[in-house]
Amino acid sequence: MRTGHAVETYPRLLALTTNPVTWAWVAVLLIGLVALPWVVSGHLLVVSTSILIAAVGVVGLNVLTGTTGLISLGQSGFLAIGGYACGLLIKEVGLPAEAAIPLAGLITGTLSLLIGIPSLRLKGLYLAITTLAASLIITHIILYAEPLTGGPFGLRIPDVSFVGLRISDPVGMYFTALIVAVLVALFVNNLMRARSGRAWIALRDHDIAAKSMGINLVSYKLLAFFVSSSIVGLSGALMAMQLRFITSDVFGLFLSIEALAMLLVGGVGSVAGAILGAAFIVLLPEIARNLLEVFGWSGDGSSTHVFEIRAVLTGVIIIVMLRIEPDGLIGLWRKVKRYWLQWPLPI
Amino acid sequence: MDYFLNLVASGLIFGAIYGLIAIGFAVIYKTTGVVNFAQGEVMMFVLYFAWMVGAWVDAPLWQLLLIAVVVGMIFGALLERLFIRPMIGQSQFAIIMTTVGVAIILRGLVPLFWGVESEPLDSPIKSALFEFGPVLMLGDQIFALAFFIAISLAVWVFFRFSRIGVAMRAAAHDETAALLMGINVRRLQGLSWMIASAVSGVAGVCYALTVSRAADMWQIGFQAFPATILGGLDAPLGSAFGSIVVGVTASLSEGYIGYGLKEISGFVIIIAVLMLRPYGLFGEKELERV
Repeated sequence: MRTGHAVETYPRLLALTTNPVTWAWVAVLLIGLVALPWVVSGHLLVVSTSILIAAVGVVGLNVLTGTTGLISLGQSGFLAIGGYACGLLIKEVGLPAEAAIPLAGLITGTLSLLIGIPSLRLKGLYLAITTLAASLIITHIILYAEPLTGGPFGLRIPDVSFVGLRISDPVGMYFTALIVAVLVALFVNNLMRARSGRAWIALRDHDIAAKSMGINLVSYKLLAFFVSSSIVGLSGALMAMQLRFITSDVFGLFLSIEALAMLLVGGVGSVAGAILGAAFIVLLPEIARNLLEVFGWSGDGSSTHVFEIRAVLTGVIIIVMLRIEPDGLIGLWRKVKRYWLQWPLPI
Repeated sequence: MDYFLNLVASGLIFGAIYGLIAIGFAVIYKTTGVVNFAQGEVMMFVLYFAWMVGAWVDAPLWQLLLIAVVVGMIFGALLERLFIRPMIGQSQFAIIMTTVGVAIILRGLVPLFWGVESEPLDSPIKSALFEFGPVLMLGDQIFALAFFIAISLAVWVFFRFSRIGVAMRAAAHDETAALLMGINVRRLQGLSWMIASAVSGVAGVCYALTVSRAADMWQIGFQAFPATILGGLDAPLGSAFGSIVVGVTASLSEGYIGYGLKEISGFVIIIAVLMLRPYGLFGEKELERV
């Protein structure tokens, strides 16, 4: 029986995980994800791809909001920059997707510094509203920069291949998203155990204390903005590739709120939680639809209202989740795990 | 010059409607420290509900307003009791996300019950025409402006002089001390939700009167955001002033610079203002002690 979690040396403290069993489970999960296209197909595969894309975005948001404690409502703006950057790099510059996706991330990260620098003075809600303002201004610029972005007519992304996977093919798109998602999860988990991740957590928990411990608040806040937005930009690039046609309307304000909901439902501050939350919220409309069908409310009979009923159910589930499990799905998972390990002792 | 004055006048009217919502934001934030992201949705729901009740009894405009205030108060109390009070003690972030959840639900409920078509609110007041030099204003626009001024003044008087208003300020300033002085803080917080919802009900009636009602009118809530921030989240009267600034700037920038600026000009202003004053123009600066 594991009775405690004692770490005796610094290298072990810095390791990704101290438990070899975790690696085995990660391997099982990866094999499962790779095998998924052979198990499910059609609509479910597209939904799985959407989950991966959303997960990349939420892992990125988590760096800024969960780890560094800077609440951002600018997600949709960063997604838009990433999506348009990727689309334009492929279509106008003619770059291959292997170069366009990471470049789109870097461009988003660099532009985010423009928002990050003025935001350094702000805290909490004022920062949230400033990022909200930034995202609205970004989508506005995209809408009116018609010669470059196509404005209200949108941007069509040509069919390209990413390391031999065609993005028009659902299976190819799934693997593209999977590769990016796995790399991002690994990257962020590594950052978290290194100096930068620890510095972010310190300045989230108490910025003045962190400053007196020698953490440069300005550079670490900006680094958080850069890393977070670069990852969100990757998610935006993947969104653009999956949709193949984007307008500024695609990147509405709702995306920002939905991303925060994903983060909160999954569990703030953890990469696994962010991924779980993304999966949960993306699957929610599907679950809602199936529930409605169980109660004999089929999609065609009253199809005009299905959309609204799904919205209502989404709101209800967000509230219920917040009420019964404030630590999110990852908190639930930890509770279950602890119960299992401690049995028959009470937690 | 005439063009300018007319733009200012139309900006004032939109500023007045934003202002009514912004007051709602500020009243709730001042007493509970929660930003109610569902303010625009509450406005929409209260208006639709009041409209339905008003249609039953065939109410004229002033009765519709009364109904909106009553519906708003009941609805605000319900919201606070059902959704916000059980969340007390959790992080501010979680409470704000709860209001986002409420917003999503209301956004879905309104088209479910009342459809998505827009409908103008008819009233004899709309045919009245007022001339102020070169500026022409309709009766409904004067009505919205008058209500905005009246409610701003009422809110100011309430917070400045009434016993409950002073208690609310005390609770906002230091909750523990207020509790020790025998103030029922929970009840005051419920009351602030009632006031905010009632004011947004009035905002809804004004908007339906000057424009029309539609299932996407919750978006005005987002337009009122920069107004509240500009004035300071914890300053109801400051928010009212901020919304006039935002409304007039929006109208002028659209008239002189280009179409589409109306939606974002307010946000451009607040980015600029927050750089200089991170707590809004009239907000109280939070002191941090270590």
